[in-house]
Amino acid sequence: MQATTRRAGQTPLEAIRGDRGSAALFGYLFVAPLILWLVITIALPLVYSVFLSFTDIGVVGTEGAFIGLDNYRRIVAEPEFRAAFVRSLVWAFGGGLVQIVLAFAAALTLNQAFRGQRFARTWIILSWIVPTIVIAIMWRWMLNATFGIVNYLITHLGLSAVPIDFLGTPQWAMPTLVLINAWRWFPFLALLILAGLQTIPEEYYQAAQIDGAGPVKRFFSITLPLLQPVLYVTGLIGTLWAFNIFDLIWLMTQGGPVSATETLPVLIYDRAFNGFALGEASTISVLLALFLLIYSVVFIRFVPAGETEGGVL
Amino acid sequence: MGTDQQMTKSLATGHSRRRVLQGAAALAMAAPMLRAARTMAQEKVQLVLWHMEQPPNRVQQFQKVLDAFNASQDGIEVKQQVQNWEDIYQKATSAIQAGRQPDLLFTIPDFTTAIKQTGAVQPVEDLVDAIAADHKFLEPAVQPYRYEDHTWAVPLYGMVQLLWYRKDMFEAAGLGRDAPKDWDQLREYAEKLTADGKFGIGITSSKHLYTDQEFYSFMITNGGKHLFAEDGKVDFDTPNNVKTLAFYKELSKFSPPGSSSWTWAEPQALLNTGQLAMAIEKGQFLGPFEEQSGRPAEDLGAAPIPWPPDGERGSIYYSNGVMLLSDDQAKRDATGEFLKFLFQPDTYAEFLLAEPGLFLPVTEDGDSPAWRQSPVLAKYPDAVDLLVEQSKYGYLFGFTRDKINPGIGQISAENMLAQVVQMAIVQDQTPEEAVAAGQKMMEAAAASVQPSS
Repeated sequence: MQATTRRAGQTPLEAIRGDRGSAALFGYLFVAPLILWLVITIALPLVYSVFLSFTDIGVVGTEGAFIGLDNYRRIVAEPEFRAAFVRSLVWAFGGGLVQIVLAFAAALTLNQAFRGQRFARTWIILSWIVPTIVIAIMWRWMLNATFGIVNYLITHLGLSAVPIDFLGTPQWAMPTLVLINAWRWFPFLALLILAGLQTIPEEYYQAAQIDGAGPVKRFFSITLPLLQPVLYVTGLIGTLWAFNIFDLIWLMTQGGPVSATETLPVLIYDRAFNGFALGEASTISVLLALFLLIYSVVFIRFVPAGETEGGVL
Repeated sequence: MGTDQQMTKSLATGHSRRRVLQGAAALAMAAPMLRAARTMAQEKVQLVLWHMEQPPNRVQQFQKVLDAFNASQDGIEVKQQVQNWEDIYQKATSAIQAGRQPDLLFTIPDFTTAIKQTGAVQPVEDLVDAIAADHKFLEPAVQPYRYEDHTWAVPLYGMVQLLWYRKDMFEAAGLGRDAPKDWDQLREYAEKLTADGKFGIGITSSKHLYTDQEFYSFMITNGGKHLFAEDGKVDFDTPNNVKTLAFYKELSKFSPPGSSSWTWAEPQALLNTGQLAMAIEKGQFLGPFEEQSGRPAEDLGAAPIPWPPDGERGSIYYSNGVMLLSDDQAKRDATGEFLKFLFQPDTYAEFLLAEPGLFLPVTEDGDSPAWRQSPVLAKYPDAVDLLVEQSKYGYLFGFTRDKINPGIGQISAENMLAQVVQMAIVQDQTPEEAVAAGQKMMEAAAASVQPSS
């Protein structure tokens, strides 16, 4: 076997490849396809969107003139944009809250030993894996005011004398969509929390119980702090996802009735492809991206990442 | 087997060298012809056709027509690709921008004004004239595509709205079997028929094209067919339109709950299940009525949409057409051949029967026995007569004048008429407020694009 001669300070790999420079080049070659892919699929469209936001381009495919910051001035002052922004906040944070409550309840239940536990852990994910279009159609029919099962139950159980038009009434439409979205996503969150729960040593609970801590105290003093890393990640990524959800809202209500469910992504689509104002739509996209960037920075800076069993994250 | 061996074998079997040479010469002469034939096959003009008629029965019927055309041609092949109306604005414009647009794209007039802004839509008056020479188009079908000194699409089929009603439900309510004649009677009937969990009339108020269409039909009947004044300015905020919206809002009291989130399916489903006595829609009600309602064809009534005493007969009419998006002369010629084939009465009947009753002829000879004697339409001769007749009273918002305001593309795409209806019914604004808000929205849309000459 031939031995490799290593100069001082060289790693074995560098020694094999010759020198530090060629090792770096070797590394760049490995990541180059990925970088190229990211540039083509993310960086270029992003730059193009920013460019379009400074133009008055209307229909996709037509020419637009450079108008500087006019779009930004107009959009920021627009009541429609502000209302959509508030709705996006309600949609993302309101939905997030509902999802966390449901997910915690489900995860804590699934963390207990009971008959059918394995079955429940597997099939809880069902609503998450069903395609969005199926969910939209299913709920549209179930909520139909004339022949939907939900209204049938509501009227026959005496909860309401008349059917409720869940998707056609402004005050009902947003809460309904938030609940449907929470119903769809909470199983995913529940499984993450469940995975986190299973990393908490049972001894902690036993010791706390010996010290006289009740279930509530144990939850807030042991479970919640030790789940903080999971909640930290899901809090950040989940909120970013929620802000960008378009498909379910569009398929269920198209942002209606009377804009009651028009969040920023819906407004962007509507402005670009129905309002034929691609420049304005790009401006709203850039503003949304900026907001999410600031939100992420603030979240990472100020929200504690939590402690794992091994130490602070 | 090698040539030498073949020759040896030929000679050995008694063929003369001359015969072999003659054969070789014949092959040599045939080779260029075969090559040319192969080249012709390779250079077959392919037309890619996008349409938004998604239901499987329509796609199958279109394919039947395309197969027949392709079989009749050596040098042309037409392929259909199915899209949907929900995202066609986005898809078509993106495809055009990428230079990968279809050669032919189905359209309605307001969609044409939007796509035309990309510069990809080709004038087709030569194709229209060529068809008209043999088959004469109905004027309401061509007129919405004729502006800026050109014709921008070839009409393919019309769609018109009628009042559909359940005669058996009318009888059960003691109203006889005839349709209401005017607005007052329509309201009276709707109220009487709303009882015991059943509803008098379907009045939609969703932000949807269906609402645009239904409300516009009422606007026409009350003198509001022109959305733009003669000078091209938006002319929506009129006393007549306020009165129409008030009437529409009044009728909505007799519409099933949930009407503010309806799309296409609900009114037909409710009428067929006997939960709704009247609905305003196009001719697709004919096909599934008997099967879905369990009632005989005679129980489905059809009538013109009632109008007020000082109003006029009319309803929305869509001329569905096809745009040419290729500037290649060979493709233009191929399109001409395809259309020539399509508008032959028997072929055209097959095409229209993709959706019996919904797709109406746009040529004079398109109203043919082959079309009328189809299994579905033969059961409803009166309704078919009425659909054809009503087409003559059809209008489309924004396309009732000689000049087209290009803002109509945005007004239609954003369902602004439906938004006005929502303000009045869902938000409970007064008709005056809602119509005034609609006027402002439409003015903004019209101002955002350059008016056409």
